[in-house]
Amino acid sequence: MAARSFFSQALHRPTPILEFLFPIFAVHRSRVRYASITTSSASPNTEPSPSSLDRSFSAKRRKPLSEKQRDFLDCALRVNQAGELAATLIYTHQTPPITRAHPHLRPIMHHMYSQEASHFSTFNEMLAKHRIRPTAMYPVWSAAASILGWGTGLMGREAAMACTEAVETEIGRHYNGQVRVLLGWVKEMEERGEEVGEEVRELVSTLKRIRDEELEHLDEAVGEGAREAKPYELLNRVIRSGCKGAIWISERV
Amino acid sequence: MLVTRPLHVFLRHPANLRSSLVWQCIRDYHSYEHEAPFPFAPTEDAILSAALSHVPTHGFSINALTQGARDAGYLDISTNLFPTGAFSIVRYHLVSQRLALAKHASSLQPQVDITANIATLALHRLHANKPIIHRWQEALALLSTARHLATSIRELALLSDELLFLAGSTTVTSSWYTNRAALAAVYASAELFMTQDTSKGFVETEEFLTRRLEEGEKVRGGLDMFGKWVGMQAGGLVDGLRSKGIWV
Ligand SMILES: [Fe+2]
Ligand SMILES: [Fe+2]
Repeated sequence: MAARSFFSQALHRPTPILEFLFPIFAVHRSRVRYASITTSSASPNTEPSPSSLDRSFSAKRRKPLSEKQRDFLDCALRVNQAGELAATLIYTHQTPPITRAHPHLRPIMHHMYSQEASHFSTFNEMLAKHRIRPTAMYPVWSAAASILGWGTGLMGREAAMACTEAVETEIGRHYNGQVRVLLGWVKEMEERGEEVGEEVRELVSTLKRIRDEELEHLDEAVGEGAREAKPYELLNRVIRSGCKGAIWISERV
Repeated sequence: MLVTRPLHVFLRHPANLRSSLVWQCIRDYHSYEHEAPFPFAPTEDAILSAALSHVPTHGFSINALTQGARDAGYLDISTNLFPTGAFSIVRYHLVSQRLALAKHASSLQPQVDITANIATLALHRLHANKPIIHRWQEALALLSTARHLATSIRELALLSDELLFLAGSTTVTSSWYTNRAALAAVYASAELFMTQDTSKGFVETEEFLTRRLEEGEKVRGGLDMFGKWVGMQAGGLVDGLRSKGIWV
């Protein structure tokens, strides 16, 4: 399907996130921990923010979304819901062993969990409202995410943080791809002199906010010693390819 | 996506995947900023609605289609517009009655009692079959032929989805699938029951429908409880191990 290849192309183009990451690796760890969000300060430079995104009313004509665009949104929002379901479950199952061993991590774990829970409910509402079916793999993802969270939680703080880092890298890249596609639509609409509908406008800002929060989790995880996990390389690679596979499947079923 | 997959594509997939294939293409992102266009062109609409009024006398047949074309002021040859012949009248009835449900739904109170809303809507839809009920078995025969089976299943899936959406269901867990499959089965059996129903005002069909919906509710409630029970047992086990100092 055309929308799908469009989507996966968007996903596999080199993303600005990895470029954000390099400065993190270069700085001294103690600085990273207290640094403000590197990513959200970086995004305005790399991302166009067309003026029509802030405007709430104009007399311009408005065209319905094309079938290809509706297909894209259908796919994208379904994958997002599945991802946030997995994220809430990962944190739910990681929290008990981690906070028992490291009580000082309680606030950070709670903060990340509650943001994921709010992302999840945002996408649940969107699915119901726009009549999008959830992924048929729902029970499978629930089980896989619970096991991943529970397993990395048992392995200790570094492994849990490495899990967060790996997941958020893929998720951040995934959201960035979507934001880029939507901004492309906005640009096209502006060039044709059409009004950008409220739905697309709201969606862009929601996705940007959630993307920034995910990247915040990534920074926090790196700050909490994700890269000291053993075996870091293996964990990172396995979890990231797991995420990619899950995204690929959820786009289809 | 209004294109229907051919049956052989559908049957090539393993049985357990078929049901998810049905739902896979039922609709895409629903926008509130634009109304979806009516799925029939004005000419088709005119001919098919006129043909439908001939169904009580001529049945779901080519004859009714020809009469409809004449009524709408077209030549007999214009029935060529409809390669599926009599089946196109059946499909027109299903699609137009499904879309008409939305108007009726505004009188409902969403979120109050979804099962009651579903019953009201499904009954309303069944009553739309009243004028042609003595011909409906012909339609069911057409719907179950191999050539049209994929369209029939898809149309039933769309109806089930429409009923749940209009009734105010916002479930987006895996119950999304079981709810739709269960409602589709209940509706299809009530529709079949209605063709045999001789009671006044089809009260027996109404009883049949509400009974089936209640049963469905119990079964689904039971399944949910079972899932919760399994979850509780697993949670209890983990807690028990934790209290013994085991790091779980
Ligand atoms: Fe999230
Ligand atoms: Fe996250």
